[in-house]
Order: sequence, then C-alpha cells, then structure tokens
Amino acid sequence: MADFLQQVVSGLATGSIYASLALALVLIHRSTQVINFAQGEMATFTTYIAWTLVDRGASYWLAFALTLVAAFVGGVALERVIIRPVERASILTIVMVTIGLLVALNGAMGWIWSPELKSFPSPFPNRGVDVGGVTISLQDVGVLGVTVVVVALLYVFFRYTKLGLAMRAAAVAPDASRLAGVRVSWMLALGWGLAAVLGAVSGMMVAPSVFLEPNMMQVVVIYAFAAAVLGGINSPVGAIVGGLAIGVTINLIGTYADFLGPELNLPVALLILLAVLLVRPSGLFDRVVVQRV
Amino acid sequence: MAGRRLAVRLAGLGLAVAVVALLPRLISEYRAFQLTYVGIYFIAILGLNILTGYSGQISLGHGAFMALGAYTTAVLTFHAGWRDLWTIPVAGLVAGAAGFLFGFPALRFSGVYLALATFAVAVATPSVLKRFPGLTGGSGGLVLDLPVAPFGLPLSPSDWLYYLTWAIALVLLTAAWLLLRGRVGRAFRAIRSSEVAAVSSGVNLAAYKTFAFGVSAAYAGVAGSLLAIAIAFVNPDTFPVSLSILILTGAVVGGLGALVGVAIGALFIEFLPIYAADVSNQAPAVIYGVVLIAVMFLLPTGAAGLLRRLLFPVTRRL
Amino acid sequence: MSKKLLLAAVVALTSLTVALPGAFGKTAAGTTTAADPGLTARTITLGGTFPLSGPVSRYAPIAFGMKAYFSYINARRGNDGKRGVYGRQIIWKFVDDQYNPAQTVQLTRQLVEQDRVFATVGALGTEHQQAVQSYLNQRKVPQLLVSTGAATWGRDYQKNPYSVGWQPDYISEGRLYGQHIVQTKPDAKIGILFQNDDYGRDYIEGLEAGLGARRSQIIERQGVESTSTDVRAQLARLRASGADTFAIFVTPTLAIGALVVADALNWRPQIYLNSVSATDSFIGVATARGGNDATDGVISATYLKDPANPKWANDAGMKQFKRLQAKYYPQGNPNDQLILYGMAKAQTTVQILLLAGKNPTRASVLRAAQRLNFVNPFLLPGVRVKTSATDRFLISQQTLLRHQNGTWNEFGNLIEGRPGGR
Repeated sequence: MADFLQQVVSGLATGSIYASLALALVLIHRSTQVINFAQGEMATFTTYIAWTLVDRGASYWLAFALTLVAAFVGGVALERVIIRPVERASILTIVMVTIGLLVALNGAMGWIWSPELKSFPSPFPNRGVDVGGVTISLQDVGVLGVTVVVVALLYVFFRYTKLGLAMRAAAVAPDASRLAGVRVSWMLALGWGLAAVLGAVSGMMVAPSVFLEPNMMQVVVIYAFAAAVLGGINSPVGAIVGGLAIGVTINLIGTYADFLGPELNLPVALLILLAVLLVRPSGLFDRVVVQRV
Repeated sequence: MAGRRLAVRLAGLGLAVAVVALLPRLISEYRAFQLTYVGIYFIAILGLNILTGYSGQISLGHGAFMALGAYTTAVLTFHAGWRDLWTIPVAGLVAGAAGFLFGFPALRFSGVYLALATFAVAVATPSVLKRFPGLTGGSGGLVLDLPVAPFGLPLSPSDWLYYLTWAIALVLLTAAWLLLRGRVGRAFRAIRSSEVAAVSSGVNLAAYKTFAFGVSAAYAGVAGSLLAIAIAFVNPDTFPVSLSILILTGAVVGGLGALVGVAIGALFIEFLPIYAADVSNQAPAVIYGVVLIAVMFLLPTGAAGLLRRLLFPVTRRL
Repeated sequence: MSKKLLLAAVVALTSLTVALPGAFGKTAAGTTTAADPGLTARTITLGGTFPLSGPVSRYAPIAFGMKAYFSYINARRGNDGKRGVYGRQIIWKFVDDQYNPAQTVQLTRQLVEQDRVFATVGALGTEHQQAVQSYLNQRKVPQLLVSTGAATWGRDYQKNPYSVGWQPDYISEGRLYGQHIVQTKPDAKIGILFQNDDYGRDYIEGLEAGLGARRSQIIERQGVESTSTDVRAQLARLRASGADTFAIFVTPTLAIGALVVADALNWRPQIYLNSVSATDSFIGVATARGGNDATDGVISATYLKDPANPKWANDAGMKQFKRLQAKYYPQGNPNDQLILYGMAKAQTTVQILLLAGKNPTRASVLRAAQRLNFVNPFLLPGVRVKTSATDRFLISQQTLLRHQNGTWNEFGNLIEGRPGGR
C-alpha cells in the first residue's frame, strides 16, 4: 500500500509537469484553434534562457521570474510574427508552420548552446520525507506546489480580471467581442504569451531531473498532447486532470504491469488515450459539439 | 479544354519519364542513390496525398506504415529467406491492411484529433518494434544482404535500386491517377470539401475514408519496403517521428490535392537538408525550419499550386 | 497549344535540373587513379557520421574534439619538420546523420563516393556502423575506430577486415565489475538497472561472465527505454527486491536519475556505475542534487583521464587537452570528457597514419592498425594502445575508481579487460 501511495505521489508530480504543458496547449487552441506543435521546444528554449541567467550568476528565483517575463514576450512575438499571417489559412498550413517553428527552434538551441547535456538547478532539496510509511520526495512536492500556484494565479486572472474576461470572450465569441470593443487579435497574442509562460514553468520543473538539452521536452510534450486531448482540447480543467491522470497511470503501469516490458509504457498510455477518445471523441471534459445539418 | 490539359499533362509526364530513365547515365552512383531516396519519398508522399490531400484526413503517422512495410520485407528476407523483390507487394498489402483497420477507429476522430492520434501511433512505433526482439531484432535491428540486381541483369546495385524504385513509382502514380479521376476521386473530393454534403449526396463516408487510409498506408508500406532494401538494414531508429513529419512536409510543399507536385516535394525533403548542412554544419535545422515557414507563407498550395498558376492561368479555366 | 506544351516541357525540365545542381557532368563510378582515393600529395581526407542533432546529439562534442586535435596536427611541425602527417594536411569531414541509419547509409556513401574519403574514422553508433559495414568492407574503405563499445568490432575482424574498433568494449567493462564483486562481496545480492538495447545487454553479459558461477545472485533486473525520462518505478522495485548491490547500465541522464532516486528512497547498496555515465560532469549533478550521500562509494571504471578532476591539472596530456580545446573548440565545455575522448581517438588516428608510412595506402593503414603499441597522452598512465594480428582490441585496460567527496579516485591496478588478448 505504501508502495502504491508512493507511486501515486510521484506520478502526480510528473503529471503536474504534463498538466502545465497541456494547459499551455489548451490555452492556445481555445483562443486560436491552433495545435501548437512547437510548444515543447518553446518550453525548452525558455529553460535555456533560465540556465543562461543562472550561469551568469543570477539566483534561482530571480532567473525564474525573468524567464517567465521573457517567455511571455517571446510568446506574444511569435504569435504576431509567425502565426498571425496564416491565421485564416487551412488547418494544415498552420500545423506545418508550427512544425517549421519546432524544427527551427530545436536547431537554434543546439546551435546557440551546443547540444551537450547541461545540469539545471532545482530550488528544492533532493530529500525524502517520511509521511506515514511513504517516502515522499521534496522535489516532487515542490514541483506540484509550483504548478498549483501558477495554475491558481492563472485562474484568478481569467476569472476576476477584466483582461482575463476579455481574453475568454475573444476566444469564445470573437465577433461579439469586437463589437464590445475588445481588441481580439491582441487577445490571441496574449494567449500565446501566457501559454509560453506555462511552458517555461513546465520546462524549469522538469529540467533538474533530466538534464537540459535540445530534445529535453520531446517525450514530455507527447504526454502533454495526450493529456490535452484526453481532457478535451478546449478544457483547461481537462488538461490538468488529464495530465495528472497520465502521470499517475504511467507510474502505475511501470510498477504493476512490468510484464509488458519497459518498451510499452508509452504505447500503452497512448492506447488508453485512443480508447478513451473512441468512447468520448471530444475528451473527458469538453462539451461535445453537435452539428445540426 | 479537358483534352488540352490532358495533353499537356501527358507531355510533361512523358518528358519526366524520359529524364528519369536517362539520368543514371549522366550522374554519379551516389547521386543515383540519393535519387532512389527521392523515389521512395515520392511513393510515400503520393500515398499521404491520397489520404490528406484528397480525402482530407490528416495523418502525422505515415512513418509508422513505412516501418511496417520495411519490417515486413526485413522479416521475410531475414527469417524466411525470401527474395527481396517479392516482399515488396506483401509489404504493401500488410501495411495497407493495417491502414484499413486503423481507418475504422479513425472515423471517430476528426481534424486535429486525428492528427494527434496518428502522431501517437508514430511515436509509439519504435517502442513497439523493440518489444519483439526475436522477430524484429529489437533495437539492434536486422542486417540484410546488400542489394544486388536480380536475374543476372548487368546493372550496378545503385542503378538497379534506382530503376526499381522509379518503375514502381511510375506504376503507383498511374494507379493513383486512375483512381482519383474516377468515382473514387470524386467521392474523396466531396468528402474533403464537406462531409455533411457528401453524405447527403449518398457517399458512403465510412467506406471511402477507410479505403483511403488503406490505400495510403499501402503506398507507405511499399516505400518502406524499398527503403529497407536500399539500405539493407532496419531498426527502430530508422523510423522516428521526424520521418512522418518529413513525409507530410513533402506532401504539403508539393501541393496537397494534386499529383503534379509530388516529385517536387520529394526532391525538397531529400535535398534541402543536405544543402542546409553545406551552408552551416551546425544549423541546418534552423534553415530547414525557416524555409518551411516561408514556403507556407508564400506558397501554401505548394509547388502544384504554383505550376497550376503558371500553366493554366485563371482566365483560361472558364 | 504548342506554346503551352513548350512551357510545360520547360517547366518540367527546369524544375528537375534546378533541384539537382552538380548532378550533370559527373561521370559515373568515378575516375580510377593509381593511389587510393582521399590521398593527394598535400592532403588526406578522413570522414565520419555523427549525431550532431537529433536524439543523441549530446555526443556531438566527440566530432569536435577530433577536429580540434586534427587542427593541431595540421598546424604544428612534427618530428620530420613538416606540418600535418608527413606533410599532408588532414581534411576532416564530419556530417550529421541524426542517429538515423537511413541517413548514415546515405551520408556514408556520400563520404565515400563524392567526398572520396581515404577512410572513415570514429563514426558513431553500433547499429549505424553495422548498417554500413558490409558496404565499406566491400569497397575496401577502412572503417576505423568506430565510436561504440560493442564487442563485435574487435572480435569479428576476420569477417570484416576493414573494420576496426577502439575503446574497451562494454562486455569487458561489465566483467570487471563482476570480478570485483566476487573478490569483495561474494555473497552479494545484485540488482541491475539496464538500458533495453545491446548497450545494456552487453554490460549484463560481461557482468555475468565476471560473476561466473555466482551469476545466479542477480536477483532483480529492471529494464528501461533509452528514451525514458523516469526511473522511479524501476528503482522502487529494485529496492523492494532486497538487493544490496546495484549495477547501473544506462545512459547518463537515466543514471543520474537512478542515483538521485536511490538517495531519495534512502537506499544505499554498493553501486556500480557504467563508465559512460560516470564522468565528473554527469555524476557531479547527482552530488549537487543529493549531496555526497548520493554518490559516495560508487564504483566505476575508466581508461580516460577526466578533465573535470583537478588532480590532472599539471599533467602534460591534460594541459594539452585544455589548450587545444580552448583554441580550436572554445564553445565546448572544458570539463566535457567527450571532447577528450574525441582527441584521444584523433591522436590514435594520427599514430596509425604515421605508422602506415610516407605513402600510405588503405591496406598499409590496416596493417599498421595491427601493429600498434604506444602511449596516448589522454589515456590513463599505463594504458597502452596495443594490437596484434590476433588481438584487434586497441584499448583493453581499465582501472576501477571509487567516488568519494565529489571526486573519483582510482584504486587497484590497471586491469586487462580481455585476458589472453582475445
């Protein structure tokens, strides 16, 4: 039982990393109907910025904060420069543009920072605390904590501020919002900025465990996609639940179903995802859109 | 009018066939090998075009079908001692069957969800291949015999591969063209523009969509089989997710929904990374990504769109 | 009508020719020359495929380390007063195969048929080099000093005489650990975390060989995919099995994860860590995260000097390494042992070329590779690069190290990893 709880707790921690990246994906899709395939590379890129700041002597939390600012600016800039021109084009064109962004960012990181592995600091000590027979890692608690705080702040922002309301309106009813005076296209850019911030958090939380290198987020982003789709591509709550669920499930599969062999962790998770989608094609939390003909 | 367009197309095709047939006389062996890769990509892009360009279903997982075809060839030659040539149609059938079966659950997914589902398949493929090392050779893969022209034909291995690949490409191109100009093609186009309208016109959505998946996957399987023969080796690293993305890139750059640009797309994805690497040893990916974005900005209908505009200006279409 | 036809023809032809620059005019199969390709009076061209981008791009510094050393050789005057090797400048052409064998095959053909390299050197990837092995041997192009520890490169020389390995193979390293366990803790209960491919399995094979009859004491094996990022589940099971000895045979990222997680779980077995993951730049991270508790007592093996270890600061070989790295690859990390690995390999290459004589041929280079017996400034003192007609393992000696208070200390003697020279 203790073993089980331990796996659940560490699953929640990794799940929270998937959740924040999934939230970023949902944020962008909700506002711009775009699946941003480059979300993972954007997250890694901002993590490299954080690394550079720490390398130059900044304290961890200062670097953290500055990186979030840089991520926000970068996200807005990317939307304005790269996505805006193809906003009205077909899905496929936009998909290809984000893929081009993915490839370019990945190459740029290897070029600027060299592909060798770099270590990334963590503000949380690597100790375990004993809680009723279960060893809980402080790192895991810290990661969960940071994610909760960031998500809570975002929630407050969207629910209780005017800007947040404007952004939500722009996503759901762009034409009506325009009539109400909302500058819709800037709301979309803000959406990208916030998504980049979420990605940066995700990256900085995962980097201490896996080493910083250009491909760091590639596996994480796959789980994040799965989480976003599982929860419903337009549902923020779904993204969080999906991320946590996937984190826990993968851990449990690894522990209790190891007859499958380590190779099948990822495929089984994806299979479960596909199975869920077959039953609920819009994901667990998204409202099913019924098209009347 | 239609006759004129047909004549132009046939002339262009005839010219292209002549050029392709004569090229090995003029170029080095290793260039011929590169053009074999172009031929393999050509076939895969053709398949993807049928699925995404014509029937409107996005697939980010065609690398997985290529892997299936490649491993079919590898397993048959390695474990069962087949002659590599005969494995090609089998590879196509196996991949086609898998694609057809995948088409059923795919019916439930639309647009972005389908893209993600196929992406998931592509991601999962290397892991699944490693799971059965007895059959697939696991992560080490299977080493096959170097290709040799069969029946004692006096061709160097590179030339043999080149002609084999492009001959199959021509056959598959013709098959695709015949398929797409008939009822099937019309049904696909109807589905792509509006599924609802297609259904109300009596098109059996499920049948055509799964058929499209099957055919498309079969093409990818043949391409994968040829790749395995060409490099005489398969392992999971040969079919990463980036391969699926590469094929999709080729299809989009060539122009979706048109056959005339497929060769351009194939040339693009084979040679651009090589030239980008020449420009800068360290940042070919950056150049590749930027060029891709630029092409999407400037030429979203791809090379086919450009060619159409050059050859058949709008005024004439009336 | 005819104008349209003409336009169509022109467009088709142009698009094909524009996309194939340089294709026309080349004669097929190349010209025959008396000397081997890649060799002129002034130059010798060497090539190799490396993962400069893609899933294992972290190994890219190897190619740059080689470049740094070759640049040094090209600039300095040797014993004969000439720059380069007997007056020939080394042209080092390394290309990015992204760790994809389909690219390796294509690019290797490019290196051989277009760039006309004299030999491939140091190319990376066990499967990738296996994919091109038949081709290179068929074409009689030396496939030198491949960057992989699979035993087949030293073992199977009769089948593939043009292929030559370099580093101690994983099997012999695993054997060292097995033998050490038998000597120091014969009743050990052993758990293994292994990477689920030939890399990991070779290590296990060696470990079992070293344990001999005691291999049944391996009570738990947990596999992990190289693309995985999390080893917590495996560590939990290993700990639960009651093992008191723990062998880690995975790549650096996962290895560090394993050390850190073991520490977080308060599990303190005797740990054996494979050499690739043991360099200071990697294990230092585990120490930083978990304190000395996480890494004290860990045992590994090595044959290279470690640039991150201050005790080599005054060593001539290390000083040369730091000098060359600063001059020719300043964007690299001066503590990165992969760069040193590349330089050591390049040094070996130069020695082989020197031994092959003033007018080398591919055949004479291969013969030279069977007569080696020299010291390499980047390898540990006492390690000799040594081969014979029947012993094709260039480097087979290693020493065991123990990690304590943030540094590695060698203990015991240099051990011959392949007793009997086989």
